[in-house]
Amino acid sequence: MASLWSKISAVLPHDEEQFPLQFGDIVESSVVEILKRSRRQLYSDTISASRMLTAKIILDFSWEKLNTGTWRHVDKEWRRVYSYGCVFKVAALCRGDPSAEDVLQALRTCDMGLLMGAAILDDILQVIVRILQSEVRKSTREEESELPEVKRIKVECPHVPVIKEEGAIPRLKCPSLESFNTNYLLPLKPVILEGTIEHWPALNQHPWSIEYLKSVAGCRTVPVEVGSRYTDEEWSQTLLTVNEFIDRYILNKDGVKGSGYLAQHQLFDQIPELKEDIRPPDYCCLGEGDEDDITVNAWFGPGGTVSPLHQDPQQNFLAQVVGSKYIRLYSPEDKDKLYPHHSQLLHNTSQVDVENPDTERFPEFAKAPYLECVLQPGDVLFIPVQHWHYVRSLELSFSVSFWWS
Amino acid sequence: MRWFGFGFNAFGQIYGHEKLLEGECFEAEQEVKVSSPTELTAQEDTSECSLKTDCQIRASWSRRASLCLDGDSCVCLSGFVSNESCGNHVKKSRGCKDAIISESYLTLAFSDRLESWDLQKKETSPSWSMEIKTHLKSNGTHLHLPLVPGGYIATKPPLYRSLSPHLRAKSLALSAEHAILLSASGTVYTWGLGSHGQLGHGGLTPEEEPRAVEALWGMPMSCVATGGWHSVCISDGGDLYVWGWNESGQLGLPSRGLRKATQQQSSQQAESPCRDTSTPTAEEPQEEEKHEEVFISIQAFPALLDITPSCEVRTVSCGCRHTAAVTTTGELYTWGWGDYGQLGHQTLISSDEPQRVEFFKEQEMRVVDVVCGAWNTFAAIVKEEVACP
Repeated sequence: MASLWSKISAVLPHDEEQFPLQFGDIVESSVVEILKRSRRQLYSDTISASRMLTAKIILDFSWEKLNTGTWRHVDKEWRRVYSYGCVFKVAALCRGDPSAEDVLQALRTCDMGLLMGAAILDDILQVIVRILQSEVRKSTREEESELPEVKRIKVECPHVPVIKEEGAIPRLKCPSLESFNTNYLLPLKPVILEGTIEHWPALNQHPWSIEYLKSVAGCRTVPVEVGSRYTDEEWSQTLLTVNEFIDRYILNKDGVKGSGYLAQHQLFDQIPELKEDIRPPDYCCLGEGDEDDITVNAWFGPGGTVSPLHQDPQQNFLAQVVGSKYIRLYSPEDKDKLYPHHSQLLHNTSQVDVENPDTERFPEFAKAPYLECVLQPGDVLFIPVQHWHYVRSLELSFSVSFWWS
Repeated sequence: MRWFGFGFNAFGQIYGHEKLLEGECFEAEQEVKVSSPTELTAQEDTSECSLKTDCQIRASWSRRASLCLDGDSCVCLSGFVSNESCGNHVKKSRGCKDAIISESYLTLAFSDRLESWDLQKKETSPSWSMEIKTHLKSNGTHLHLPLVPGGYIATKPPLYRSLSPHLRAKSLALSAEHAILLSASGTVYTWGLGSHGQLGHGGLTPEEEPRAVEALWGMPMSCVATGGWHSVCISDGGDLYVWGWNESGQLGLPSRGLRKATQQQSSQQAESPCRDTSTPTAEEPQEEEKHEEVFISIQAFPALLDITPSCEVRTVSCGCRHTAAVTTTGELYTWGWGDYGQLGHQTLISSDEPQRVEFFKEQEMRVVDVVCGAWNTFAAIVKEEVACP
């Protein structure tokens, strides 16, 4: 794999002088000293263990900074330092004759940088990740030709609620921008838009399937929610590769109990290849923000994942690509019947288990009117800003949400 | 009294000053990570700074400050030295009684004034200073940094912050985002960020003002310490209480992340999968069910930490993600993050239970004090035979 290092070194700056290490005052000179040490090691002869060690110091130190205070308030300079640490570590791993495990570790390191760091050197981590991914694909393709593929997907018998006609969210086929604006956006009324995402490559050219996602993103590391719902005590977040996530929580290969959900993750910024498969809905242009201001999140998981009843501060288009989901909506006017949590952290989330409410603790809940639907592939649900929504997947499901204003 | 250091040494803050003076730096693992206690020696270039009888150690991530109190007292810096030579700080610090060091500032307490020097800049005057008026000096108890008359010195600007006199602060420990204060009556107050349970009030919310840790009420404390995201205190009876984040086992309570990492390591080394380090709790029957084991990620209320064999704790100090405690019998116990050798167990293994540093026992040394830097540990010892009064 000597060619891997030549590919990676080709995208790195040519020499020490062309490798910038400029940081704001917040980054202490002792830290800059270690960064410089790492840069010097990149362009000189030293043993691999020393390169790894200096990169580790940078990653350990910036990791502590990233975990100090709330994420929002972490200075971007520390996210840049973290990304530099990732670049140095990847370079140390891929130099010489890296093993397959080294390459996978380098890929994981890039993803950690993309998840927690900030763009440096013209987003070099994205460039390196593409090189590494093609390297990994090369070797897995060889393996796969030998192994028969496992394609067993659990057959589920989801409990599909019967949707009463009077409470069903209205459905519309490709309304004009103007009619959507007048009839739904301005009065903040939920609606399901049909036929607006049929042109997405994700639904036709290369329909998203487990095999497709594994081939495009299998070795990429993503955050996964473990536990049935985020309000539970036992709920936690962990980092897994897409392959591990699929094997463990969708195909249930190693018999792990419990559920996992790749939820609310900006997967498309991390993996631009998947972004090519989707398009922001045209109706977003009715908002005030630019297309860049739209937050696109992926929601990928097995049947039975639940997002407890909650509301978000932006307009939302929830596009269903794979599988179906049961969704219930409550108007912000009925907030007092929904019993939001008292804590700062969960004040936008209801305490009520929507499909199995505790009527003694939450007597008013039954009086709150609601709309509901089963969202099918190709459907886009408009969830107006601050509308409370409850979502349960009925089978293997992949949805994409667009938050916009 | 002699001092030993172990842990992070990438800047030569534990040993190796000569090599660094020659313009080289530490890159090899055994130099950067000092996993076996190593005696601190006086620096060759500044003969005025000795590490002899009455010396105190303060440490930040990249530096060590040795505060020599005998004779003509002064502070010497080891480790990362930018711009200024060590000797300058020695000159500026002559006559000081106390000192603290952060990554950016060195604060010196003299009998008549306080000075904070910016370590990043070449300045001829301190970035902050304050005169200590005589009437403040004479009012009884002697204050230890970061406490100063009327307030305390923070780790970042504004350096001076005031404290209510009602708190009757006796000692104070600071992390980047939270603070723990001990009052003259033994009450513990905390404030700042609480995202990892480090305030001990049971929640994860921040507190702007010092708030008494109710769970410890009625139990007078004698010592407080703080790590990056955890807090520790010692009761008058020598019991240790811990709370906050247990990500690296820094609370000495079972840490899931740590067990996972050790399991991975041992499976990589193709060792047997049995976990000899785990201690199942007495209440629970020891079964195969690993999932039944209770792991602590965040401890939002103070928890009593047992050190086995049972002992009384005399003093405690915290690094970012590790903890070190000295017992009344002169033994040193460490636990938490061990990647840089900061636990002194001659390995780089993290530990989620207190383990004795055998080195001092083997050398028949009695540990009398401990001070942690961010990723390293410094212990003061006396030889066993001279120890008993």
